[in-house]
Amino acid sequence: MNYKNIVGVFLVFTTFNVLSQNNSLAVTEIPEELKKSANAVIRSYDVTVDLSSVNKMIVNTKRIITVLNKEGNKSIRAYERYDNNSKIRDIRAIVYDRFGKEIKKIKKNDFKDVSDVDVQTLYSDSRVKYLDYTPIAYPYTVEYISETVNGTTGYLPRYLPINSYFLSVEKSSYTLNYASNLNIRVQEKNTENIGLIREESSGIINYKTNSINAIKPESHSSPLENIIPKILFASNEFYYEGVPAKAENWNELGDWIYQRLLKDVNDLPTSTIAHVKKLVQNESDDIAKARKIYQYVQDKTRYISVQVGIGGWKPFNASDVDRLGYGDCKGLTNYTMALLEAVGVKANYALVHSGSSQQSFDENFAIMQGNHVILNIPLENDENIWLECTSQKSPFGFIGSFTDNRNVLVVSPEGGEIKRTKKYNIGENRQTISGECNIDSNGNIKIDATVLSEGIQYDDKYYLESLEERDLEKHYKERWSYINNISISKMEIINDKEQIKFKEIISFSASNYLNIVEDKMLLNLNVLNRNTYIPDRYRNRKLPLVIRRGFKDFDEVKISIPKGYKVESIPNDKIIETKFGNYKMSLKINGETTLIYKREFTLNDGEFPKEDYSDFRAFYRNVSKSDSAKLILVKK
Amino acid sequence: MKKLFSLLFLVICFSVKSQNYNYGKISKEDFSTPIDSEDDAVILYKNRKTNFDYNASDGWVVVTKIHQRIKINSKSGLGWGTHSRLLLKSGENEEEEMVDIKGATYNLTGGKIEKTKLKNNGIFEEDLNKYRNKVSLTMPNVKEGSVIEYQYTIRSPFWNIKRVDLQYDIPIKKAEVKINIPEYFIYNRFQKGYHPLELTQTTSNRKIQYVWRETTGVIATERRESELDFKETRYLILANNIPSMKNEKYVNNINNYRTSFLFELAQYRRPNSIFKNYSLTWDDVVNTIYRSDYFGAELKKTGYYKDDIDAIISANSSLDNRVYNIYNFVKSKVKWNGYYGKHVDQGVRKAYKEQTGNVAEINLMLTSMLKYAGLNANPVLISTRSNGIPLFPTLNGYNYVVAGVEGENGVILLDATDKFSSPDILPFRALNWEGRLVREDGSSSLINLYPEQASKSTISMMVKLNANGDIEGSYRKVVTNHDAMLYRENYVNMNKDQYLEDLENSFTDLVVSDFQVKNDKDLSKPVMESYSFNLENQLDNLGGQIFITPLFFLAEKENPFKLEQREYPIDFGYPSEKKYRINISLPEGYDVESMPESVAFTLPENIGSFKYIISRNGSTIQVLVDFAINQPIISAEYYSTIKDLFKQIIDKENEQIILKKM
Repeated sequence: MNYKNIVGVFLVFTTFNVLSQNNSLAVTEIPEELKKSANAVIRSYDVTVDLSSVNKMIVNTKRIITVLNKEGNKSIRAYERYDNNSKIRDIRAIVYDRFGKEIKKIKKNDFKDVSDVDVQTLYSDSRVKYLDYTPIAYPYTVEYISETVNGTTGYLPRYLPINSYFLSVEKSSYTLNYASNLNIRVQEKNTENIGLIREESSGIINYKTNSINAIKPESHSSPLENIIPKILFASNEFYYEGVPAKAENWNELGDWIYQRLLKDVNDLPTSTIAHVKKLVQNESDDIAKARKIYQYVQDKTRYISVQVGIGGWKPFNASDVDRLGYGDCKGLTNYTMALLEAVGVKANYALVHSGSSQQSFDENFAIMQGNHVILNIPLENDENIWLECTSQKSPFGFIGSFTDNRNVLVVSPEGGEIKRTKKYNIGENRQTISGECNIDSNGNIKIDATVLSEGIQYDDKYYLESLEERDLEKHYKERWSYINNISISKMEIINDKEQIKFKEIISFSASNYLNIVEDKMLLNLNVLNRNTYIPDRYRNRKLPLVIRRGFKDFDEVKISIPKGYKVESIPNDKIIETKFGNYKMSLKINGETTLIYKREFTLNDGEFPKEDYSDFRAFYRNVSKSDSAKLILVKK
Repeated sequence: MKKLFSLLFLVICFSVKSQNYNYGKISKEDFSTPIDSEDDAVILYKNRKTNFDYNASDGWVVVTKIHQRIKINSKSGLGWGTHSRLLLKSGENEEEEMVDIKGATYNLTGGKIEKTKLKNNGIFEEDLNKYRNKVSLTMPNVKEGSVIEYQYTIRSPFWNIKRVDLQYDIPIKKAEVKINIPEYFIYNRFQKGYHPLELTQTTSNRKIQYVWRETTGVIATERRESELDFKETRYLILANNIPSMKNEKYVNNINNYRTSFLFELAQYRRPNSIFKNYSLTWDDVVNTIYRSDYFGAELKKTGYYKDDIDAIISANSSLDNRVYNIYNFVKSKVKWNGYYGKHVDQGVRKAYKEQTGNVAEINLMLTSMLKYAGLNANPVLISTRSNGIPLFPTLNGYNYVVAGVEGENGVILLDATDKFSSPDILPFRALNWEGRLVREDGSSSLINLYPEQASKSTISMMVKLNANGDIEGSYRKVVTNHDAMLYRENYVNMNKDQYLEDLENSFTDLVVSDFQVKNDKDLSKPVMESYSFNLENQLDNLGGQIFITPLFFLAEKENPFKLEQREYPIDFGYPSEKKYRINISLPEGYDVESMPESVAFTLPENIGSFKYIISRNGSTIQVLVDFAINQPIISAEYYSTIKDLFKQIIDKENEQIILKKM
């Protein structure tokens, strides 16, 4: 039987299916197990990808999904994107009530058609058609059918049986039919426990799964993307927006990116080249030159988002960015790269998944991916400097949590290479507080404090520099929200971009900080860095514990107590040591009126089995408890 | 004479030298920051001219020319280097267009002004959806310290004069606005905001070649052309140094306070004919809306629901009963599609059939059914929170409609678009000052939308304190009105496991059992939530003295009001009352050494009150807390009073009892 016949038979069969088996769509048919923690249940999900040639891909999707409650509407995902290189041949939906009775048909023209842009983006040449349906009652079921034709075969659809939290699956399948001259690579991830069935014959790969339970989000875990089962497909030969390509590993894919997307866009006007050469003429080493160039780019350009040109992958010409003074991440990175080249510093374009969840490129499976671009400057001894070229404010070489510690694709004339971006280690992510706290006899306090932040803790705070006074004041009241009635008298910020250190000098007073009970005053000793956070409790933790970034806090506060009072019931010093981190608190009495409060809190990064989660919580609880240690001041 | 002339000349000379606002005439003065250098950017000059053009093929077209000059002060101000504008489309052929776009960026380098022109590749046009296009100008070469300038013209086939905004997140140094309106159009004009503006109005003559078709036979028409002389009203608005205005929390809509001018079409006539009325007074507004095919006519349709309604109202059912039944019928039958509107979109009949509709379809249908069932029901026009407060009689002032039933005890408001809304408990979006009840005879009256009845939350807790600091007990919460609506919205839509987990985590380490919710779906009764709980570590033992907070996890911890001052009213949306009844039984062998004092205070003008009463009876301590905010919206002059009230409440609720071992 040839492949056309299969499709024909298949189509007839499905039609027949729908007519005769409507009752099977009744909500009562869903197994109880699949309704647990689910807002929606995929009843069946079938994707067929026909890669009939290197530049033609037809994707047929049929998905039947039962929505159990309002939150479940998000999982319907009845939409298709299209642009100059792809079109939607068919898109429609049928809605059924809880008994499986058809209540509405939605045709192609009733799908909403809008520009596919987010608020940030100024322009994009792709559009999206989506289903805009108002449910009449829950639960209900949507059958969604679509067919798209795409000339770009650079990404083959992934097989993702579930793609959101609170979503379970009854059954699903994925079929890839491909022309015999194409070489297909496949990679399976997280497929151990889903009863995956794989069948393969010449030109056909087929996957099936049954019964996958819903996943509930849990804090301190891997991003959903890394948890869900997924199967990736790639063709070694593909077309990208009318441009043919061939790549079977990262080196070749990187080479293709360099040749097709980067090689011809590094042009600069001679005047600019002369200017930057002059700018660095007194610098001898590459890092110093790069520093000057980075500053030059930061002062000259701004970031805008525009999605055009080879699927949004080709950068603007460097000369355009030079003239216009703006660009998107690709344009600005390419521009910086061209300037560095002009002054003899080698730098490479690097594709990355941005965001704090540290999503990595897989070393063993080369496929076009990423949503951001940064710049890599390779140093001797295998070290690297990474530059975020879209920021006008980042210090040189500082990428922060946006692109830290993950695999990225570095593209150079020699091809592609997977490299790991900078990891911010525990010792680098430091916050040091030194302060003085003066207590008066009415229970009010006056504070003078200096907070010094480095590493990721610098990243957390350096935006404060651009806040207006009003918002900054609010920020501090929120940071110390456990102190009521704060009135701030001094806020000074020193941002040392050279050393990447952020210093805050703050003075404030707060009335009634101490609880007064008759002739006693109750003092909560940790005034400036009290941990009030305790990770959420789960009755049944399912996912491993992940601590992405560690840190170290040091606090030292000199507390002066009012005249006429003496200290009673001093809390014991405390030391907590766990595999998740350490904690040390001590109190020293200096003479009659002064106490020295010291605290150290270290959190380690790492991955731990789910069984460790409750110990991790206990660690935080103990820290929290120790941070609420009190002593009594009594009138003499 | 000569003297006067030279004096005049001198003055002109001087003023030219100080600043030239013509397009492209950038001088060094533009680079010296004029107003508040704290601002990220400053609009040095804003000029806008709106005219009515006439030509034979398009008829009247509203032409608005915008010219702005902006100085960028900081990197945070770079966003002003991109200017986006939405343009309207009718969905059919007509659409607004932006033409004659030009712009340039100016940088001061080494004492010289450098100019970079905006080119076509910096102009992005985007087809957003059926009704909107977007044009963005991305100015080239913008840096800290740049001055940018752009100019463009919008041609609109729709006769709407876009709102004249004269206050932004950044200050405006100088603004000049000219609006010229031919006598064939009458626009209502409204001003919002606090900043004083100078407005002058003059009249002048204008001449155009006018083309029209005249009926010459039964169907035949003939083209005619003549010169038309008419008068034009010319408005000139001048303003200087308008300060910036930024958003604050707990403000219902900042645009209510920004300085702006609105023009809304009230009447139009063709040359040589009579006026077609749009709106001029509230009565006109009401009439125009009522007479619209998308409003009044829809109210009159009854055929589509007749049989269904007949079936649910028996001849002898009481009127109250009918309201109740019809309201619930509409809520369960037709679901809201998320669109606002005082006008129907697809029409009531189709909405009924399809079982989904916009606000107007659902609530006009409801009104019509109530009327049909013999009730004195009429639509009530509302401006939602996002639409701002309707201060002036304009058509756009209203964007929402609910049903109002007039009876002996006043008007009952009904909104069937929200599953959890109930009579007189409108969804939060619709709680915005006053609505206007519109009667068929054209009369109308203002209706206060804020509820008079307070939403009540009553929490009763029995707590057993163990000597080791752990507590166990039972919790019961009863909630009414708006608070009940919010509770239901949250609870009913949520996965139940998740709800419980969130509840436990919201009070860190609370362990909940026997969880129960009653009346979550029966809106006629208050919602009730109850559970048993355990919680560890609820005491501090300091040298044999035991400190507990008698409110335990219920004690308020953080003042929501952080700013020292506030310029806008505090909008709570509805009056509310919160009560705690807590009984604590002490561990055996412990005695009370000291307890907080009981207090009670009331705010001026009955804004609110707080009561904290603590008493002891043997080994039991009882705490009663009563906190009321009696007004839905409180003027800014009471900000510090309210902030202080919260401070005192927090201090009081966190006071402690000291116990000692006997």
